[in-house]
Amino acid sequence: MSLTEYAIQATLGGKKETANEPWPDDVILYQQYQVEQITLPDYAQCLAVETFLHMCGLKFRVEQRTNAEEMSPSGRKVPFIQVGPYLVSEFEPVVGFVNTKGFYLTKDMPDTERSEMRAYMSMIENIMGNAELYLAWLNTDIANEVTKPRYGCSYPWPLNWILPWRKQRDIRAKLKANEWAVKSLEEVCEEVKICCQALSERLEKKQFFFGDHPTELDALVFGHLYTIVTTILPGGHFTAVVQEFPNLAQFCKRIEDKYFKLGFD
Amino acid sequence: MATEKMKLEVWKGDWGLPSVDPHCLAVLAYCKFSQVPVDVIKSGNPWRSPSGNFPVLRHGNSAYSRVTDIFTFLRKEHWGNDSHLTTKESADVIAFCAMLEEKLLPALLHLWWMDDKTYVDITRPWYAKAIPFPLSLFVPQQRQKRAEVRVLLTKGGDHITDAETESKIYKEAKECLNLLSYKLGDKEFMFGRKPSSLDAMVFGYLTPLLKAPLSSNTLQSHLQQCTNLCQLCNSILTTYFPVELKELAEKRKQEEDERKAQGGRTDMAEFPNRRRNMILAGLFAITAMVGYAFASGLIQVQISDSETGSSAKRFLPAPPQAVHRTGYDQSTVLDGQQQEGED
Repeated sequence: MSLTEYAIQATLGGKKETANEPWPDDVILYQQYQVEQITLPDYAQCLAVETFLHMCGLKFRVEQRTNAEEMSPSGRKVPFIQVGPYLVSEFEPVVGFVNTKGFYLTKDMPDTERSEMRAYMSMIENIMGNAELYLAWLNTDIANEVTKPRYGCSYPWPLNWILPWRKQRDIRAKLKANEWAVKSLEEVCEEVKICCQALSERLEKKQFFFGDHPTELDALVFGHLYTIVTTILPGGHFTAVVQEFPNLAQFCKRIEDKYFKLGFD
Repeated sequence: MATEKMKLEVWKGDWGLPSVDPHCLAVLAYCKFSQVPVDVIKSGNPWRSPSGNFPVLRHGNSAYSRVTDIFTFLRKEHWGNDSHLTTKESADVIAFCAMLEEKLLPALLHLWWMDDKTYVDITRPWYAKAIPFPLSLFVPQQRQKRAEVRVLLTKGGDHITDAETESKIYKEAKECLNLLSYKLGDKEFMFGRKPSSLDAMVFGYLTPLLKAPLSSNTLQSHLQQCTNLCQLCNSILTTYFPVELKELAEKRKQEEDERKAQGGRTDMAEFPNRRRNMILAGLFAITAMVGYAFASGLIQVQISDSETGSSAKRFLPAPPQAVHRTGYDQSTVLDGQQQEGED
């Protein structure tokens, strides 16, 4: 839940017919260039939103823009979707927006399960989100070799140096504020391991986290884990951690086969 | 089993609570749940802690100051109360603790440190009193700054105003309370009849909010509507911390007795005296300063006629009687005296 969603609910509250209007055909999801530009934490978010929309069976097309970050309505957060006159960014607001359009993944979920699902989603955002930022921007090797060149790749000379530096400074300030910056890489890997262990135990041998149907949580977990597993970074710290849990790897494979193979045909 | 007793330093308590800090409360509750033999030291001096904050658990030469570290350490020493949980439930504990940190903590930080009314009325006086003198001048501001940075950097941004950030974090916090309330249902504790580390965390975060004397706060009233959460906090408080409740009752009684004995007159009687003293002190100070200025020649009153006064005379120190004279013949008297002196 966030402000954007709140605002949308407010604007839609008065006119129900707008809210129930079917999904328009020209929905666009904006993100940075996937091959050359996008950074690890951003890609995880983009993939989570894409997966969620696929799970809802909604049509959209992905537009890649070098300045997707500056276009975002919520201050440098990708991805964002354009649905008619609305711009909605980030995972939770998109979920809320899609719900107001009448598409639900978790309509008949009991309250206890819903609260558990939200708790796991917070855990992913809190632990995985911060860990990815830490690895991508605060680990000197990865920041200098991978993240900063990629982040600055679309800008000419002085900017491709200044903008990544400014971004790194912002991320450092943020992680310092929530006490992640003082952790060592080992501690961060340990946090990721704890998080994966919790997910693995929750998933057990089931197909999805809550029974036979996908939920928002499945989309979010897939977005983050798939990104970590498939992104090759020097050191390979997180990839090794995630691969310790075979049922999570199978889960990623399953979701990929189910929702992404069809889309690419 | 521990050869050496562990020492746990926490912030002091108030309002019938063993400590006012959420993290300290969580650790205290965890220790009580699993009957860890610790010496609890209630302190107000953050310089005693290596990290500048409490709780700190000391055992031998090592000190642990983060809640998760303390829990991990205690678990390693086999002082756990989560052993009855299934693996799935342990996973839930991690998830819900993350949710508390992500959704509820920003609102609490905002409430205690950034909400002007609460900060001025409760937080700042409390910490100023709890922390010893020279530190109390800057530690509260330091903590406020840290809380502010944390809330604004993690939840705010350039694209939204502070007021929007505020409404966003309170909305998230209320939703978090609802989710906790669903999770608890009508069970005694989060996972049945035995308390777990999640109960300790929830207790830590919610009890100060429940017990603090806040006036008409939306988050507090929202919590009061979640009756099962209030019940959880109160039952933990009565079962595991009976001493603090007794202390609170005694303190209240004492205060009431004092009020009855003095009949509320002390404040009234003290007030005009204080103002009179202030005025007298001010007058005394001004008189002394002016007197000194005259005596040492910093101020000179000299009146001279325009035609007779010359620049050389004007800079001569005036004799004492000249200062108080206000007559027209000032300068002639002066001239006369000087001539006499020269003669």
